[in-house]
Amino acid sequence: MTRRQFLPLLCFCVAAPAQEMTPEQRRLNLESFDKVWTTVRDQHWDPTLGGVDWPAVRDELRPKFEKAETLAECRAILRQMLDRLGQTHFSIVAGDVYQEIDPGSGDGSTGLDARVLDGKGVVTSVEEGSSGRAAGVRPGWQILKIGGRDLAPALERIAEAYKTSTMRELVLTRAVTSRLAGKIGSQAKVEFLDGGGKTVELEMERRRPRGVRASFGYLPARHVWLESRKLDGNIGLIAFNIFLDPANVMRGFEDAVKSFVGCDGILIDLRGNPGGLGAMSMGMAGWFIEDADRRLGTMYTRQTPLRFVVNPRLPWYGGPLAVLVDGDSASTSEIFAGGLKDLGRARIFGTRTAGAALPSVFERLPNGDGFQYAIANYISEGGKPLEGAGVIPDVEVRLSREALLEGRDPVIEAAVSWVRAQKKL
Amino acid sequence: MKRSKTALVAVLWMAGAAAAAPQETATAESILDKYVEVTGGKAAYAKVRNAVLAGRMEFVGKGIKGSLTSYKAGPRKSYEVVEIEGVGKIEQGTDGQVAWEKSALQGPRIKDGEERALVLRAAAPYPEWRQQFPKVELAGEDTVDGRACHKLVLTPAEGKPETRWFDKKTGLLVKSAQIIKNPMGEIPAEFVPGDYKPVDGLLLPHRVTQKAINMEILVVVESVKHNVDLPADRFDLPADVRALAEKRKKP
Repeated sequence: MTRRQFLPLLCFCVAAPAQEMTPEQRRLNLESFDKVWTTVRDQHWDPTLGGVDWPAVRDELRPKFEKAETLAECRAILRQMLDRLGQTHFSIVAGDVYQEIDPGSGDGSTGLDARVLDGKGVVTSVEEGSSGRAAGVRPGWQILKIGGRDLAPALERIAEAYKTSTMRELVLTRAVTSRLAGKIGSQAKVEFLDGGGKTVELEMERRRPRGVRASFGYLPARHVWLESRKLDGNIGLIAFNIFLDPANVMRGFEDAVKSFVGCDGILIDLRGNPGGLGAMSMGMAGWFIEDADRRLGTMYTRQTPLRFVVNPRLPWYGGPLAVLVDGDSASTSEIFAGGLKDLGRARIFGTRTAGAALPSVFERLPNGDGFQYAIANYISEGGKPLEGAGVIPDVEVRLSREALLEGRDPVIEAAVSWVRAQKKL
Repeated sequence: MKRSKTALVAVLWMAGAAAAAPQETATAESILDKYVEVTGGKAAYAKVRNAVLAGRMEFVGKGIKGSLTSYKAGPRKSYEVVEIEGVGKIEQGTDGQVAWEKSALQGPRIKDGEERALVLRAAAPYPEWRQQFPKVELAGEDTVDGRACHKLVLTPAEGKPETRWFDKKTGLLVKSAQIIKNPMGEIPAEFVPGDYKPVDGLLLPHRVTQKAINMEILVVVESVKHNVDLPADRFDLPADVRALAEKRKKP
């Protein structure tokens, strides 16, 4: 099974209208096909493309592309072409994403986060002040149906298709969260199995997600948040949802680390964090490393290798550091966690990450769609690629529906226990 | 994202204050002196005590835009700030001794070695080429965008050689290439200056394109002002950079 297309920074898909194309649209689409093909040929860090016969791919797919009747078909063929590379961070972003009249109207949220645990869609957190909270949803509730459709068949198909892939958990999560999301102001009709085993059907308004809307180039905009708090026992916790909006997130991270300088330990929660600006990982790691010339890893472009060098910050924090990850932690999250693990600076808790860590850029195609492509391979400081492998936690801890229903987070609990054990040493 | 803004901005300030020496056969020295002559001459450059450049920049094809402001004063002081949409500020400079950088992405750091040398070398407005490069060589001829050019290799006291191409007909700099060294590695970069316009008797490039790895950055200069009243602390080290510098002094 070749690796599927992966959109590490998107958690939604926009359906393209199935309408026939004008001659001008056809021309622009064809230009887009050629641009994608040529860019991969000329910019992929491996001139051999891992052995893929790229001219043969063009010869096979361009005639089909020329005959495509709709934009959706065109996109599907382009995605097929990129899929032949068998790597993440090669994707096509529907141009609709950049052209919404009301930016952000498509990413309405009920405030529910979810994961697939033991084959079931389960609510893992409910945001304060959200429509989900107001409706009475609790962590641990199982999601049975969304919009009147059973979730189980889709989850089974995905689980089977991705059974050997490191991205399995990520794709399963997206299958649930993308169905929960929708146009702001619309209603999400969800059937749950609550903690008492009762079926509950609720309608929740999709509202503007928490955080500040931020964008970078042609990366589709996202709402960005960072939170920090002290846990019982003098342990700091920092969580943020994406490596974006550095002006605010880096400042918030700095403020949090400085406020935790007297803490017995710091936990950085990157569960569900799909990545973002790679350079932020170097800046954040700098708060925990005193020595110069330490690196998280190296990216290998076609032209030259580039080291992800940590920039030591003052005042640096030298106490126990735990990084929490799961199968939805991807890209820059993996670079950060994997690098700190390889440097022996952090202990990693949770489950294996997505294995989708290739530095990439976004461009616009002539037809208005976005095109993401990887520009480099990435090898963590320990000498191993993260792509296709992920970061293996030092301590594997899984969420369970039972724990969530009890209001517990076993991953945080394990990290806190470890920090307390370090204090006793 | 971590590209050397120093090298890109340095191309905008490139010149020299040496007088042209009449030569029948082109030499590296005569070509560089000619560049000074055709872009204003020694006297015009000597009048400049400080300079402020403002412009906009774009990562071509990536949808990333920003602004750039550069301050330079003799003998070796500079401060530059780039603001990139979605990233924030990237600042760098030198007070003549400490070369530094500070960004929203990675915080403050002090530059050493070749990085530091490049910042100091490029710090003054229109630094004289004889002060920058103890060794200059004519490396032959080349064609750049259809123009016949002299190709020169310039070697600084510290750092890697740069290659520059000067239009044989106009004497203007049309391209330069160098290896930009920073903690991330050594990045081959090309710069193409153009759109020369007069400012206070000097002919200055108002457009520079930088190509490095998969990125093309276009800088369009919107204004250049000379001998401006600058705040006394314009080139002072930011507090967090100063703290880093102090820490280094401690045994």
